[in-house]
Amino acid sequence: MDLDTFRKSLDDWLDGHADELAPAYPGHGTVELQVEQIAKVRHLTHDAGWARWGWPGQVGGLGGSGLLRAYLSEALSSRDLVESGLYSMPEVLGPSFITFARPELSAAMVPPLLRGDEVWCQGFSEPGTGSNLGMLTCRAARAEDGWRVTGQKVWTSLAQMADRCVLLARTGTLESAHRGITALFVDMATPGISVRPLDTMHGEPEFCEVFFDDVPVPFARTIGEEGQGWAFAMDLLPYERSTALWQRAAFLHRRLQQLVEAAPPGALDPTALGEVAQLVHAFRARSRATQHRLAAGEDLGSVTSIDKVALATVEQAVFDLAEETLPDEVLLAGGPGPERWRKEFLYSRAATIYGGSAEIQRNIIARRLLELGNDR
Amino acid sequence: MIDRDDLELFERSLRQATERATGAELDAALADLGWLDVVQAEPAAGIPLLFDLVGRSLATSSALDRLLALRLGVGAPAVVLPAIGRWEAPGAVDGDRLVVAGLGTANLAGAPSALVVAAARDRHLAQEVDTTSLDLHPVPGVDPALGLVRVTGETTVGGEGQPVDWSSAVAWGQLALGHELLGASRRMLELARQHALDRVQFGQPIAKFQAVRHRLAETLVALELADAALGAAWLDPSPESAAMAKALAGRGARTAARHCQQVMGAIGFTTEHDLHRFVRRVLVLEQLLGAPRLLTRELGTEILERRRLPVPLPL
Repeated sequence: MDLDTFRKSLDDWLDGHADELAPAYPGHGTVELQVEQIAKVRHLTHDAGWARWGWPGQVGGLGGSGLLRAYLSEALSSRDLVESGLYSMPEVLGPSFITFARPELSAAMVPPLLRGDEVWCQGFSEPGTGSNLGMLTCRAARAEDGWRVTGQKVWTSLAQMADRCVLLARTGTLESAHRGITALFVDMATPGISVRPLDTMHGEPEFCEVFFDDVPVPFARTIGEEGQGWAFAMDLLPYERSTALWQRAAFLHRRLQQLVEAAPPGALDPTALGEVAQLVHAFRARSRATQHRLAAGEDLGSVTSIDKVALATVEQAVFDLAEETLPDEVLLAGGPGPERWRKEFLYSRAATIYGGSAEIQRNIIARRLLELGNDR
Repeated sequence: MIDRDDLELFERSLRQATERATGAELDAALADLGWLDVVQAEPAAGIPLLFDLVGRSLATSSALDRLLALRLGVGAPAVVLPAIGRWEAPGAVDGDRLVVAGLGTANLAGAPSALVVAAARDRHLAQEVDTTSLDLHPVPGVDPALGLVRVTGETTVGGEGQPVDWSSAVAWGQLALGHELLGASRRMLELARQHALDRVQFGQPIAKFQAVRHRLAETLVALELADAALGAAWLDPSPESAAMAKALAGRGARTAARHCQQVMGAIGFTTEHDLHRFVRRVLVLEQLLGAPRLLTRELGTEILERRRLPVPLPL
């Protein structure tokens, strides 16, 4: 299946099934409604085959280039059928899971994720280790029949709804730092796990604290080998900063277009608008090049930090412009339209914080891409 | 299509030429290498390769004139550029009089004739004019090494001139300048990086300080975004995509100049270090064939008029 054929036939199919695919709620929706909507869209697109393209046969995929997956996510985002950030979870977790997990484990676990039967969460950050991931302390102790996990995670998106957690746990000593970390695949229904959603500034409890109290995890649920957790995380982070961002470009284009349509005459300053339109275009161009490099099998690693800094900059620029242009809607008014602008504006404040803060990304760029040496 | 190995060889030859020669000497080397033939066969390869290198080496040449003439479809040794900051054609026709107000490259100053493009209602017409009939005033200004001249004059023209596609030529010119800006900016970043590694204060290289690291990282982000926009523009070199790329490359160069000069401290402000040459060059290139601010305001105005963003780049 080549990209042009895929694009054409998917577009036709989406147009033909617009009513079925449309969200049942107006505006932004709650995080629960958004997750339900994503599950519905995944079911429909998976059953029709679209969501299986670009994934390998061992997880029920139909093969083909990763660009097919990227186009599906773009098409869904540009039609406003899914919240692009939440939708991208399989793009973030899937590829590395398939690379590291035993084939039987990924063959059993990934298909329900792609079909929308399950929600997964990513248990990486901890109260004491946000940016400094190598010093995490959530512990997995070896027992006779499996691991026993005790500790805490935080900023875990969608943990309150998740069926599974891709967890980083310490299996070595704290002194072993990143070498003593192991990735585990944990059923969230296991006794001993408790989840506390965190209220956020934009009004949606999108992320949570997750507590583990002597939680049993079978050895068979180890992702890769013991001690490979850091390698797994390093493999995964470039996906979080690349594949997952293409649909964000589609989202930003759509919202800026909607701002142009909604702005009263004279409200948008042409120079300010032109600059944001150029930034949205440049981010899209950068992300496009990244998708093509990934599809060609390049190992991207640190260069994806550029994509992440660029996204954060552009996302804040789009919503700053929205706030300046529609202050009443963004700051004061009620109703689905204004509330959506408000939530998205507020959420964009976090764009320089989540997924590795802008400062961490700049540190990576300085050290790895500019080769300025270690900063300590 | 030129194959990959040939392109690599071509790039190596271009690199040597731009490092060793400038002005007429570089023109001769480019003619030997058949640069214009490569541009004709594959503009998306030939233009970025040369202008990136020219930006890095601060060379001057007739390349901009040549590619504008090629795109205009008129053989001429030089082309009069628009006034500083502008992209509109530099000529105006008044009866049988042609009034010119623009700029010329160092190459134009030595050329026997130059092409003047004038807007005439809904089209553009090109006239080849003897440079002796124009007033050429050197404008050394902030970047004397660039050798720009101010071109003014009023001449009588025979015939109405040849219809040309000015906006397509401007698009090529903007992309060429965008690559030159990017090449010069990347060189500034290299110079500042080396300085940050060499310069020791408080017992350590200043490259260890996060404030310094982040300025340089921020510069690389701006340059990579401009690079991506330039690359995207070659997929579809429309006037709009070229103008966006030129504006981004101009702003990226400003960011690079600001951060790199700051990181280099006082030495970067002296003429003992090469940085000032690049700062001077990008200040002027930024303004040629459309200043970023003008291109940005025009894009915004266009979007507001049609109430539509530019067509999003396909995957």
